Amino acid sequence: MNEYMRMIVVLTVISIVAGAALAFTYEATNPKIQEQERQALEQAVMNVIPGTEKMETVEKDGMTFYIGMDGQGNKKGIAFKTTGSGFSGPIEIMVGYDPKEGKLTGIEILSMSETPGLGAKIKEPSFTDQFKGKSVNDEFAPKKDVQVITGATISPTAVANAIKTSLDKVTEIYPVGGDY
Amino acid sequence: MGQLVKDFINGLWNENPIFRMVIGICSSLAVTTAAQNGVAMGLALTFVLTCSSVLVSLLRSIIPDKVRIPCYIIVIATFTTVVDLTMKAYFPSLYEVMGIFIPLIVVNCIVLARAEAFASKVGPIRAVADALGMGLGYAWAITLISIIREIFGSGTLFGVKVLGESFTQWVIMLLPPGAFLVMGILVGVMNMIARKTASH
Repeated sequence: MNEYMRMIVVLTVISIVAGAALAFTYEATNPKIQEQERQALEQAVMNVIPGTEKMETVEKDGMTFYIGMDGQGNKKGIAFKTTGSGFSGPIEIMVGYDPKEGKLTGIEILSMSETPGLGAKIKEPSFTDQFKGKSVNDEFAPKKDVQVITGATISPTAVANAIKTSLDKVTEIYPVGGDY
Repeated sequence: MGQLVKDFINGLWNENPIFRMVIGICSSLAVTTAAQNGVAMGLALTFVLTCSSVLVSLLRSIIPDKVRIPCYIIVIATFTTVVDLTMKAYFPSLYEVMGIFIPLIVVNCIVLARAEAFASKVGPIRAVADALGMGLGYAWAITLISIIREIFGSGTLFGVKVLGESFTQWVIMLLPPGAFLVMGILVGVMNMIARKTASH
């Protein structure tokens, strides 16, 4: 076999074997990965809507909503995802909303890449808890009705703006006092 | 046997990739904000390095010289993806923290350098000894960096509080400059030790 043929054959065989190994690993881990992602989502919905035991996914007007219900099937609120642009990348937020009361039931930061020790504090309850029970008609203005973090103004502002902007749309789909 | 021990020790100290050779430091600077990350990254790299070194060593007489680099890269990329998927499936919280740096093991020059400079020239047993030494050398180095950064940056060690409430966190330790500071001081200290032992 000449040199060129050998090069082609060896490289091809190695690639095929590697591809097969990867396909096998993917098949073996994929169900577990999907399960982890589903659990993480469910946990986030439970965290932002207190009392949630099961959830239902609803697609409406191009948005995905997760309706949280207690064990008896009573609706406890609606959760949805929104994204703000933070100091060093997107901030993904899960927001819990109770249309009956017109209030937020809680928020959770799903992912972000803000500065550790400063902007990253938006993940902590000391920041997120202030949105619990907040009226959707509030201004969501940083330093007025939203407490910011010392040394980091951009990250909290991004969170507040993202929630306010998404609420404008969500309250059109699920108006305050309306059914859901 | 003596040769194997020598190959193993080499990576731990004499040619420690982080402190002595200063290669593959991109990931070591980026993920070392908590001790747990340092350990996980070190083990992930050791696994990829060991598996690919064995395979490269076994295939050394089959792989034609002209296409050896693509062959090594395919082998390394395959093992890295296996680690990446496994971590995502079984350690999702760790994956969230160091997600992007796991795929980057592919381009970590330690792995390719050992394949090219060592594994492709010796038998599989020596290749394993060298890979384990280099991998664990990398692991202890970045674990040390991350322990220092976690203690001063968050006041914790492996997530457990070690410094009292009155301790003010050194935020800089968690930021990129902190990584360079710690790394620089440690490389200096290691050089001092090496010089001392060499002159004796």
